[in-house]
Amino acid sequence: MTTLTRQDLNFGQVVADILCEFLEVAIHLILYVREVYPSGIFQKRKKYNVPVQMSCHPELNQYIHDTLHCVKPLIEKNDAEKVVVVIMDKEHHPVERFVFEISQPPLLSIRHPRPTPIRIPSDTLLSHVEQLLRAVILKISVCDAVLENNPPGCTFTVLVHTREAATRNMEKVQVIKDFPWIVADEQEVHMQEPRLIPLKTMTSDIVKMQLYVEERAQKAS
Amino acid sequence: QAQLSPSSAGDQKVILLPCRSAPSLERVQLWLEARKQYEHLQRGR
Repeated sequence: MTTLTRQDLNFGQVVADILCEFLEVAIHLILYVREVYPSGIFQKRKKYNVPVQMSCHPELNQYIHDTLHCVKPLIEKNDAEKVVVVIMDKEHHPVERFVFEISQPPLLSIRHPRPTPIRIPSDTLLSHVEQLLRAVILKISVCDAVLENNPPGCTFTVLVHTREAATRNMEKVQVIKDFPWIVADEQEVHMQEPRLIPLKTMTSDIVKMQLYVEERAQKAS
Repeated sequence: QAQLSPSSAGDQKVILLPCRSAPSLERVQLWLEARKQYEHLQRGR
């Protein structure tokens, strides 16, 4: 049995690439499904072999891209416990939170009959992950059926749950991208009596993810 | 709101968010309107 560490394989980087690509698609789709922006800025594309809606607004696309670029070093080091897409009302109070709870195995153990060079992740493994991510995307695309309408004029932000010591992994990227991050205050985080709606859980050899929505009980301001 | 502290050696849980805001709905609506007008003009040529 060969035990491979995350470091040996540059494993964290592969997982971070996969997850950030997925989160980008997921954020675009959430903004479309939850009608944060007008449907006219979205175009149908195919991701994970399913149709999704992606924004074609350059500034919004850049914003989402820069956000995830800053989050990536945390995911790479397995330091991002949760990535949360928060939809806020006009008063900047959260009305919905799409919580992506991420965990990665620290070690990957693979049984081999004889010592041969190991290529990880294999095509089969990636194909399995893609299949699981597709299921999550499909759940997001129909989540409006289980959520109340949001009040008009909503906006969004992305929160990352991490540890204080891990924030240094972000610093270089923040400077390069001129995209600084701050510690969230109570208003951004607190939601009164949220209703919890589990959307999907996925478990693969390289990443586990749970997606649920926290919805404010009274959405009207 | 507290700024990220580079010298912090603690390992407490923190929740971070970007300083910059996403483009506002009004800004996006203006862009969409301008794009529609541009496409309309292009079709008229």
